[in-house]
Amino acid sequence: MKFRSLLFLAIIPLLSGCSADTFRLFNPVGAVGSVEWRFTVIDVGVMLLIILPTTVMIAVFVWRYRKSRNAEYDPSWSHSLGLELMMWGIPFLTVIFLGYASYRSTMLVNPYNPAAINYTDPANPPLQVDVITTDWQWVFIYPSLGIATVDDLVVPAGRPIKFWLTSTSVTNDFYIPEVAPMIDVMPGMRTMDGFQVNHPGHYEGFSADFSGAGFSWMQFSTRILAKPDFDKWVAATQGSPNQLSYAAFTKLAEPTVNVGAKPAYFSHADAGLFMQVYNAARAGTVYAIPEQLNIVTSPVDYTQVKNGTN
Amino acid sequence: MAIKTLAPDEQPKLWQFGQEANDMISTKTLGFWLYMLSDALIFAGLFAAYGVLDHPMNTAGGPTEAQIVHPIAAFWQTLAVLTSVFAYSIATVAVKHGYRQMVVLCILAAILLGCVFLALELLDFADLYAHGATPQVSGFLSAYFVLIATHGLHMAFGILWLLVMVVQVIRLGLTAPVVAQLLNLRLFWQFQAAIWVCVYVFVYLKGAI
Amino acid sequence: MFVHLQGPYSFLLGRFTLAAIPYNNAIIQFAFAFTAIAALLVIGPVLYFRKIPYLFREWFTTVDHKKIGVMYIILGLVMMLRGFVDGLMIRTQQVMADGPHSPGFLEAAHGYLPPSHFDQIYSSHGTLMIIFAATPILTGLGNIIVPLQIGARDMAFPTLNAISLWLTAVGAALIMVSLFVGDFSAAGWVGLIPLTELDFSPSTGVDYWMWAIQISSVGTTLNAINVIATIVTMRAPGMRWDRLPIFTWTTLSTSIIGLTSFPILGVALALLGADRYLGTHFFTAGMGGNLMLYTNLFWIWGHPEVYFLVLPAFGIISEVIPAFSEKPLFGYITMVAATFAIAGISWTVWLHHFFTMGAGPLVNSFFSVATMVVGIPTGVKVFNWMFTLYRGRLTFATPMLWAVGGLFLLLIGGLTGMMLAIPAINYTVHNSVFVIAHFHCMVLLIVYAAFAAVSFWFPKVFGFRLDETTGKLFFWSFSAGTILVFTAMFGLGFMGETRRLDYLFNTQWWPALVIEEIGIGFYCLSLLMFFVMLFVSIRDRVKNAATADPWGTARTLEWLTHSPVPFYNFAVTPHVNSRDELAWRYANNLASTVPDHFEEIHMPRNTPVPIIIGALAFGFGFGLIWRIWWLTALSLLGIIAVVIYRSFARDKGYHLSAEVMTQLEREPPLGVVSESQYLSEPPLGASGARPLGHAGAH
Repeated sequence: MKFRSLLFLAIIPLLSGCSADTFRLFNPVGAVGSVEWRFTVIDVGVMLLIILPTTVMIAVFVWRYRKSRNAEYDPSWSHSLGLELMMWGIPFLTVIFLGYASYRSTMLVNPYNPAAINYTDPANPPLQVDVITTDWQWVFIYPSLGIATVDDLVVPAGRPIKFWLTSTSVTNDFYIPEVAPMIDVMPGMRTMDGFQVNHPGHYEGFSADFSGAGFSWMQFSTRILAKPDFDKWVAATQGSPNQLSYAAFTKLAEPTVNVGAKPAYFSHADAGLFMQVYNAARAGTVYAIPEQLNIVTSPVDYTQVKNGTN
Repeated sequence: MAIKTLAPDEQPKLWQFGQEANDMISTKTLGFWLYMLSDALIFAGLFAAYGVLDHPMNTAGGPTEAQIVHPIAAFWQTLAVLTSVFAYSIATVAVKHGYRQMVVLCILAAILLGCVFLALELLDFADLYAHGATPQVSGFLSAYFVLIATHGLHMAFGILWLLVMVVQVIRLGLTAPVVAQLLNLRLFWQFQAAIWVCVYVFVYLKGAI
Repeated sequence: MFVHLQGPYSFLLGRFTLAAIPYNNAIIQFAFAFTAIAALLVIGPVLYFRKIPYLFREWFTTVDHKKIGVMYIILGLVMMLRGFVDGLMIRTQQVMADGPHSPGFLEAAHGYLPPSHFDQIYSSHGTLMIIFAATPILTGLGNIIVPLQIGARDMAFPTLNAISLWLTAVGAALIMVSLFVGDFSAAGWVGLIPLTELDFSPSTGVDYWMWAIQISSVGTTLNAINVIATIVTMRAPGMRWDRLPIFTWTTLSTSIIGLTSFPILGVALALLGADRYLGTHFFTAGMGGNLMLYTNLFWIWGHPEVYFLVLPAFGIISEVIPAFSEKPLFGYITMVAATFAIAGISWTVWLHHFFTMGAGPLVNSFFSVATMVVGIPTGVKVFNWMFTLYRGRLTFATPMLWAVGGLFLLLIGGLTGMMLAIPAINYTVHNSVFVIAHFHCMVLLIVYAAFAAVSFWFPKVFGFRLDETTGKLFFWSFSAGTILVFTAMFGLGFMGETRRLDYLFNTQWWPALVIEEIGIGFYCLSLLMFFVMLFVSIRDRVKNAATADPWGTARTLEWLTHSPVPFYNFAVTPHVNSRDELAWRYANNLASTVPDHFEEIHMPRNTPVPIIIGALAFGFGFGLIWRIWWLTALSLLGIIAVVIYRSFARDKGYHLSAEVMTQLEREPPLGVVSESQYLSEPPLGASGARPLGHAGAH
């Protein structure tokens, strides 16, 4: 039937780049990512046990019982207790199984306290990273190391990473495909996330919750370095001439589109900067968007924002 | 299940002749009950918002619940609205017996008592404003004012409707459409009292404890 | 007023100034030219053939449920066209703006749409498609078909019916006006919070979105009241609950959902409006607001809303498949039970729209299980349709193609929905284009069902069949587009593409984006096919004239009327003897039996009150958007005055005598009928009023 013959076209997107890098969600790294992938496979597998036979049966019936084929016709058959029991019962049992799987997996990947990661091993304590989103950049502060970055998350391999996240403006969604599960980052609120990756690698994180005109440029690079490389990077950053005081932060938090997601590095961030930002948001501090950004007929202002010179 | 076939001499009824009995009053009142269900859900949403924002962390340093609720003053409001409903109930009894003058008088009494309710509410708001407790101060106060003001708006529309019904009863008499409207108004007015009771309990009484 | 507004403000014009009209934006110029030409193509012939009085008399003041339904569907199709153009623009921008070296045109750094414009386009795409295309089409279908299926002469509240229509039209008009006067919301069709607060959306865009939805929601709620009252009180004698057609059952449960859930949307938007207009702190980040409250309130409406849309679609499929399988629907009782199970459970799943907000594993697990539980009755429906096909005699007329196509879409949508129901999976695909592809499978199921319904019942309403050949071309080109766009989109979801991007940062996505663009090309082709189908069908309308049952195998009561349905529906109310009444009459050779005599009937009278209320509602909305307070106040007072005036009206109906009925039935009126010639009949009763105690019609 013509309808099904078009399904071959579904192959095309898969051919577009079968490298591991392309289908990020099929290639998780780290404890949490692996759990997510495992349960994706389980869920799809179980559902296909119902969906595939149903699809095939519908296709067969549609073919077989066309009027022109003069197949068996039984207009009085419109009820069957046995079939009803099956069609309520089998999905019901499936939902029990998948419901339990859902519960298990949620406990394992819970961003606040993932069971898949061990935060309490004294030999391998978590590295705390504070994340603040602005319009439209990511600020990463390392309270234990005193340094901060913009749009570049650098962490050591093999160590659990624990995040505290807040926003100065609107809601964003912290996400690094393959590596970290999503969590909404909201102003005036603190939330948590975590991951652990044991091998070095380079990934791309971004915001998965639309946050305004500069949203499309809100990526951050995620570099997982082996321990010696990480220590070298920390030392280099601690020599950076820039400092992230609260005053410097408020300048950074003005609406800015960081075209190309160029990173910035700070050798010193104010202690308690995260909580200061959090409290300021709760007290009503807002970095308002100028109306020109929202009107389409203002190319000059948009260009300034485009170039990050606004 | 096969289609039921007829016995050879069975004469099924295919068409319905005779007066189309579509009771207008019961249809109109059913429709109004359905509308009140949607109105009940508006208040459910507002109570939900109040329930969420009725928390110390939503006062943003401004007045707390205990500081702004005046359950004694609100008690007089409660009396006003309940006696207003009672007056209207007497009007309904008068409708049943066809005493037009009594109907008009009782509705006027209901209007008067409703106005007393609104006046007391506005006085309370003015007092809060004078003390700097406005809806713009915090999320909690926003929820408090909007919940009570929404009920007050319903009361105001109800009073307008009561006035219109006085005119209709005088000019048109107790005809079927007028009676249908009076029955709907009864439901609306009683509902406003019921919502006020919920407001009184969950906002004023609970807040004062 | 109470809040700090950016930009100029005057008492007379509020925030409105000439600068609000984007006359130097090339895309808006093009849109204006296109709209102006389309409007001229429609208004031109109307003026040339002097049809304005006819339109006013027969259509704009009508309370006939069939004409109101037709206008709803026309409104929905026009808005779907605009929504499709929005979708086309989104796809084109995304395929052009992939990668840092992609070129920029007009005012954009990449592609041809700067971010704010792109954001407005996808916000209006969502709002238009859900609220102003799908809802009006399904509401219109319910309007036309439900009274016919239950053997009633009209809805319970005909004037209210018309008011609902015009309120919906006013909402759509506001969105159309936003294209040329001011801007539209750039915060998504859901109104992402706190992005919709005045600080982050300082222009009138969010206000347009808010009031368009609020005003049309009033119409939808009133329509729900109407439908429920009609089904409960106006069924023909013998139409017991277990004989009710399945489409009527689904429309009943849909209306219950609509009646109870739309008020919550009203509250969510009203509180947002309070924040924007009065400076309150319901949803602000600071000063004690709680922005998660908006998300919860919105989705407490939002999830029942999608079942509000999909249940009528299920009802349509449940009517079309039995009709073209020449078999009764399998498992009628469990279908009804499943419908109400879906409606009930839909209230308990809303959090699955924001699993990532951080509610914790126990809360997330509860909503996850509830979401999966609602899939059980949905599955039951699929199996019942499958067993209806089994041992049937299937004919693949256009409606059947659409219905079966919709069935396949439901299977894919259901599978991907079960994936999204698991938080661990959701944390990887939330807000990605995987979610977009999932819900587009579901809304396309609704669209397929809508097209199935339109082609199925078109001959009944208009008296001639749509052309089958071009109709099938329309179906196949539309399906080709669907397969290409959304298969590629599922793939992109797994590649990690998130939604709402005006600039795409990963060039690996480009091949799939190209496939999507080719798919959109097929959709454009299908749009052309749609117009060709209309042209050919209208041209051949005499050749394709329809009898009462043009398909030959229809089963339910509405097919007993003439085609097109006369304005009074049934000359004599039928007495119902069975489920699938027409199939029963066919089986017992009673289908062509007509009444032997006729009696006087009562009809509701046309009135200009609904369209006047609509016009005043437009003034109310426009005034609120631009903060022109005098316009708002006057419009509101006007609406109140009109309603009060109407409540004093004595006669709202007229009657058709037995002689007139006999003559009408001898030669049933062809074409969509002019009923106004009968309005000169005397009104009911000299005083127009009946004393208390006289039971009976008005």
